[in-house]
Amino acid sequence: MSGGPAVRVSIESTCEKQVQEVALDGTETYVPPLSMSQNLAKLAQRIDFSQGSDSEEEAIEGEPRDREWTKPEPEEEEGTVKFQPSLWPWDSVRNNLRSALTEMCVLHDVLSVVKEKKYMALDPVSQDPTAGKTPQVFQLISKKKSLGTAAQLLLKGAEKLSKSVAENQENRRQRDFNSELLRLRSQWKLRKVGDKILGDLSYRSAGSLFPHHGTFEVLKNTDIDLDKKLPEDYCPLDVQIPSDLDGSAYIKKQAPDIGDLGTVALFRRPPKTKAGTQQWHVKLEAAQNVLLCKEIFAQLSREAVQIKSQIPHIVVKNQIISQPFPGLQLSISLCHSTGEKKTHRASPEKPKPDDHLYVLEHNLHQMMREFHKQQLSSVVMPHPASAPFGHKRMRLAGPMAYDKAEIFSLQHNEGLLEKIIKQAKHIFLRSRTARTIDSLASRIEDPQIQAHWSNINDVYESSVKVLITSQGYEQICKSIQLQLNIGVEQIRVVHRDGRVVTLSHQEQELQDFLLSQMSQHQVHAVQQLAKVMGWHVLSFSNHVGLGPVESIGNASAVTVASPNGEYAISVRNGPESGCKVLVQFPRSQTKELPKSDVIQDAKWSHLRGPSKEVHWSRMEGRNFVYKMELLMAALTPCP
Amino acid sequence: MEAPPVSVMPVTGGAVNMMEYLLQGSVYDQALESLLHRLRGLCDNMEPETFIDHELVYLLKGQQGNPFILRARRSLSHPTSPWHLRYLGQPEVGDKSRHALVRNCVDVAASHSLPEFLNEMGFRMDHEFVSNGHMFRKGAMKIVVSKLSRILVPGNTDNTERLSLSYLVELSVLAPAGQDNMSEDMRSFAEQLKPLVHLEKIDPSKQRH
Repeated sequence: MSGGPAVRVSIESTCEKQVQEVALDGTETYVPPLSMSQNLAKLAQRIDFSQGSDSEEEAIEGEPRDREWTKPEPEEEEGTVKFQPSLWPWDSVRNNLRSALTEMCVLHDVLSVVKEKKYMALDPVSQDPTAGKTPQVFQLISKKKSLGTAAQLLLKGAEKLSKSVAENQENRRQRDFNSELLRLRSQWKLRKVGDKILGDLSYRSAGSLFPHHGTFEVLKNTDIDLDKKLPEDYCPLDVQIPSDLDGSAYIKKQAPDIGDLGTVALFRRPPKTKAGTQQWHVKLEAAQNVLLCKEIFAQLSREAVQIKSQIPHIVVKNQIISQPFPGLQLSISLCHSTGEKKTHRASPEKPKPDDHLYVLEHNLHQMMREFHKQQLSSVVMPHPASAPFGHKRMRLAGPMAYDKAEIFSLQHNEGLLEKIIKQAKHIFLRSRTARTIDSLASRIEDPQIQAHWSNINDVYESSVKVLITSQGYEQICKSIQLQLNIGVEQIRVVHRDGRVVTLSHQEQELQDFLLSQMSQHQVHAVQQLAKVMGWHVLSFSNHVGLGPVESIGNASAVTVASPNGEYAISVRNGPESGCKVLVQFPRSQTKELPKSDVIQDAKWSHLRGPSKEVHWSRMEGRNFVYKMELLMAALTPCP
Repeated sequence: MEAPPVSVMPVTGGAVNMMEYLLQGSVYDQALESLLHRLRGLCDNMEPETFIDHELVYLLKGQQGNPFILRARRSLSHPTSPWHLRYLGQPEVGDKSRHALVRNCVDVAASHSLPEFLNEMGFRMDHEFVSNGHMFRKGAMKIVVSKLSRILVPGNTDNTERLSLSYLVELSVLAPAGQDNMSEDMRSFAEQLKPLVHLEKIDPSKQRH
């Protein structure tokens, strides 16, 4: 139908309500629809109660109908419609009512007939006279029976209760196991294999590559006697750890100095258990520690065998022995004690607490954990995702065409053993330096030596500032200040005047150096004192080439002249030869005056003449500079 | 210029012949969170690693029937990382009891001029896609959960359209030839993921059109 205009079709729904009337203006008034109750009444009216199942009742319908029906049927009775709609919801109701009506009608008829007394008479029923009195025995028997049934009921209930209580207790023990298991699971890795519960106490998920499986098994503690009282630390859960991880272990580091007393015998105290930790926790932690110690020791011994060093490391069973310095032996041993043997290890001497060993052991653990962490760092994860695992920078080696040297520099070049030996060397060097300085300080009183150790150190480097001063003259004589940087094998000394000296690990070198600095300090002190006192410095040399040769360092010398020029003091100080002080007098004060024709004028007698040595040990004064000050004061006449 | 003949020599990457063991599965988008949680618990303790990669598949059609396939992949989230070129051989037809798909694998890191180089060599790009998702590792095993997206305009990786409403889960291990114990570990790991995702070996040749 493509052609032609569209035809408009209007649709109107049929009228559902009947029109009652149409007003003059066209509005229609509808018959209001029937409400629910009205509708129900209309339907009920249609039911013909006269059409029942029995047809002979139809005769009696007349009068009893309105009497019996007022209550159940509120609507009018006379309208019986011939047309019967579906009787099904009302059928049973109608039939019941009809039968009730029938009974009532019969009763009514009988009563009305009996009232007449003509055709029917009522006869009372004779009763048994003996049924009135009930004998005592019978009552007793009946009471006993009823009590018996009641008692049986109560007993059955009680039995059920007691059974449930016993079950509850059993359940509680079971639930204890489950709650313990929950607590165990919150701290350790567990998995179910078949009907066994296994756990993992190794460090593999934290990055370790140690091949030990580290599996433990969780068992239910069933050897408990219900009658006995439960012990305090009863735990329904027990763990079984692999037999080679039993007991406790630690890594013992010993560094006995040859020529030095005392090895330290350490035995490990059992760790204090925190209140509330379960036995399984303690056991598992100890086993994990043993595993870590084993891994550390395996790594160390593997490196000890592989790495080539000048002095080879010796690996004997549980011990690695190496010599970081000649004369110093470092031994690292794994001490694994399973509980029973602890008593035999009590040493006769008291254990001397030695900090170094604990620090090194702690550092070993830390380094191992750092190694684990490196295995898991996101640097290893490949981008793009299909590439194999490996360090990010190694992946660049191909595209960037690295050569062998570059690749070598990328890889880890220091193993655990090397690191720990370096740390041990540094610790040893540092303690030796401290000992040297302290022994010098206690031995020599003049000049004084002060050491200020810095708080912030590295594992491989520490530093100390050494000041050499004279007591009472710290502000004047502060020219010797040394900064010592203690490294792994060497000590680097930076002098205040900028000189840098590198000392080896030998103790003697440091001592000699400090002694030579101390002797130089005396001479510097004289120079500074002269400035303060007004004396003129005539000459000064840190290293004089005259006089006896010193075995340690060089002697230094200074010559100062009094303000008026009459006197001069010469000081020569050497580390070994001690100090020598000479005073030059003016010619006029000498006893014998050489008579000579050359000197004509008397003024030449004011020049300085011969010199005399001072008995320095007999001088008054508590230290060198003080004595020097007194001497200078004595030689400066009052104006 | 006609394509050079494709050699039928076995492909090796240097001295060691590496094999890839692979198990694959997939999960719906709704199940992704629970799968990630489970993997986070089962795998090594690391921060979860996400990635966005762009892969191009190159074909070299020779006179013979089977073309030579190379996969070039680069990271969009780490643009300075080198490209990764991968050759995957035919799956090894070993005993049926082996639990994982085993195939020869050659991995090469390449610089950023790889696509031009492959074009010069005669390879033609067959298709490309963008893959993004998460990566986990457990020891030597790598688990990759990724969503693949199709690139609508060739070369434009910003405009992508998801291929499906699910994520692809792959469990793979790279090991030298001859080590068969890895498939046992892979199977036990796949068991632990069981109701969330079923990882099984899917033969790619059986799915060829």
